[in-house]
Amino acid sequence: MAAPPSLRRRQRREMLFWLMPPLAWFSVFMLIPYAMLFYYSLGSVDYMTFKPGFSAANFVRIFTTEPYLGVLLKSIKLGLITAAGSAVLGFPVAFCMAFQTRSAVRRFQLYLLVIVPWWAAYLVKAYAWKTILGTNGIINKGLAMIGFHPLTFLIYNQTSVALVLIYIFTPFAVLSIYASLERIPASLLEAAVNLGASGWEIFRRIILPLSLPGVIAGAIIAFSLSFGDFVAPALVGGADAVMISNIVINLLGVAFDWPMAAAIGIVVIVFGLTLISISGRVEQRGAVRT
Amino acid sequence: MPGQFLTLLGASGSGKTTTLRLIAGLETPTSGTIHFAGRDITDVPPTHRDMRMVFQDFALFPNLSAYDNVAFGLRLHIARQRVARHEIDPRVRRYLDLVHLGEHAAKMPHQLSGGQKQRVALARALATEPSVVLFDEPLGSLDANLRKAMQVELKRMHRELGRTFVYVTHDQDEALTMSDRIAVMQNSRLLQLGSPEDVYLRPNCAAVARFIGAANIVSGTIESVDARGVRVRLGGGGAVYSAAGEHGLRAGTPVRLMMRAEHFVFDRSRAAEETSWLCGRVAERLFLGRSVEYQVVLDGSDETVSVLDQGGGSAAIARDGRLEFGIGWAHARLLKE
Repeated sequence: MAAPPSLRRRQRREMLFWLMPPLAWFSVFMLIPYAMLFYYSLGSVDYMTFKPGFSAANFVRIFTTEPYLGVLLKSIKLGLITAAGSAVLGFPVAFCMAFQTRSAVRRFQLYLLVIVPWWAAYLVKAYAWKTILGTNGIINKGLAMIGFHPLTFLIYNQTSVALVLIYIFTPFAVLSIYASLERIPASLLEAAVNLGASGWEIFRRIILPLSLPGVIAGAIIAFSLSFGDFVAPALVGGADAVMISNIVINLLGVAFDWPMAAAIGIVVIVFGLTLISISGRVEQRGAVRT
Repeated sequence: MPGQFLTLLGASGSGKTTTLRLIAGLETPTSGTIHFAGRDITDVPPTHRDMRMVFQDFALFPNLSAYDNVAFGLRLHIARQRVARHEIDPRVRRYLDLVHLGEHAAKMPHQLSGGQKQRVALARALATEPSVVLFDEPLGSLDANLRKAMQVELKRMHRELGRTFVYVTHDQDEALTMSDRIAVMQNSRLLQLGSPEDVYLRPNCAAVARFIGAANIVSGTIESVDARGVRVRLGGGGAVYSAAGEHGLRAGTPVRLMMRAEHFVFDRSRAAEETSWLCGRVAERLFLGRSVEYQVVLDGSDETVSVLDQGGGSAAIARDGRLEFGIGWAHARLLKE
């Protein structure tokens, strides 16, 4: 019969038509830039001019020379601190939203409180921390009023960077944890009560294990976003709290070593993609439900 | 009554599940009290009631294996010193064997079929050996064959374990086959509490009669009352003698009469003495295999009665043919509205 193949061909042509815009978008903004990034990372620089090449020297340098390796490790450390901090601070909020709110309105209000900070620009929020922690910030002004010397350890170190990063990325953890808590059927909690479990036992044996995928996913999101952050270290981090993205900015704008910057970019992207695929797998495993 | 199989039967929204949840302590009554074994347990928290529930969606803990699901309640009992640690393993194995899941102990809930999940949920509820097991439509999500098999098995377990089962269902067949006693509920009220025979053969109101089994309910007027029963004149002219003289009824009162489709007889020579005979036109004839169902429009009225012939006594009367059938006085029951 002639009709079915032609119908199928037409369907295929139609599908191709609808796929064009996303494919074009994907190529222009993702594929080509990443290909260029990779191309640059294999080259070298000579008297501030780019020399194309095919060498892994830049990657070797990242993992063998300072400051690259040290800063990379410090970024990972700050990323891990942010991940843990966001998950630990985010869990009670998510728990409250999922189980302790009596009405949908109250839940929505809590939800708004979590996401409203996102309506303000990141830069503004990071800058606001300067006015809190800085030498002339409100904490030190207050201390000065009651006769104390200003505290200099509040800002321009790794602690202040971690604090700001946790503040910025906790909402991601909250939403991810909330999503996993909300999926727990009420009948499971009732079954546990019915079998004689106390509140703490239900939390430890049922709620915590079932929400773990969400906690891990939230922590990984917080990690991959904070690991490559450059705003917080630039605004509230001193010389001690330089992170990998700040190095990239310096390489691009000051040292004009674009190949090295590109190589670091590739490392960061591969690291992030690996983590996100792990998180996806963890979430999938958690999604297997009765 | 301890050791009984009590079923709460009703349509959805009749309050049967809420009643069960009140018994389990998962809901708190706004008024009234709940008594258990002579004790007021209204304010006893659900964790301290000696009752275990089998949930409609099974509510197995997805992060625990079948074995750990069954052991869940027992392990909590260690802390309360009601079970010793070394008793747990044999106890879990025994109840998994009881529900024929011995080989599947290590499987996770998502690896089990619907029927197997059902069995795990049952073993979990039984393992702590509660005095009452509550069932919230536990077979609702199973297919018909599996449901039948589980019904038989539940009945066997009830007999073997000798514990009180309180069972919620909207399926009247399930209620009739499994229960010692049935509580028929409607609109949050208890309509009738009795044995399956009671609620089927002697419903105390039209709602119960309509809900359980296919009941023909026709309206009529009391013609005469004597010592043994009443004679009811139906709308179309026919009359039925009914054995329900205890109501203190008077002639002229409008009443409703219930007759079960399978209680009709066809052979005048073999019928009991107090049998009333009705006549009508066959509007529809449905061959059901083991029996034949006639939809009969009674003479002189537009009321349709469903008549079941299980023995071939009506000898294949075709559509639009005339059918004469009788009803024994004990089977024609007066209903209050």
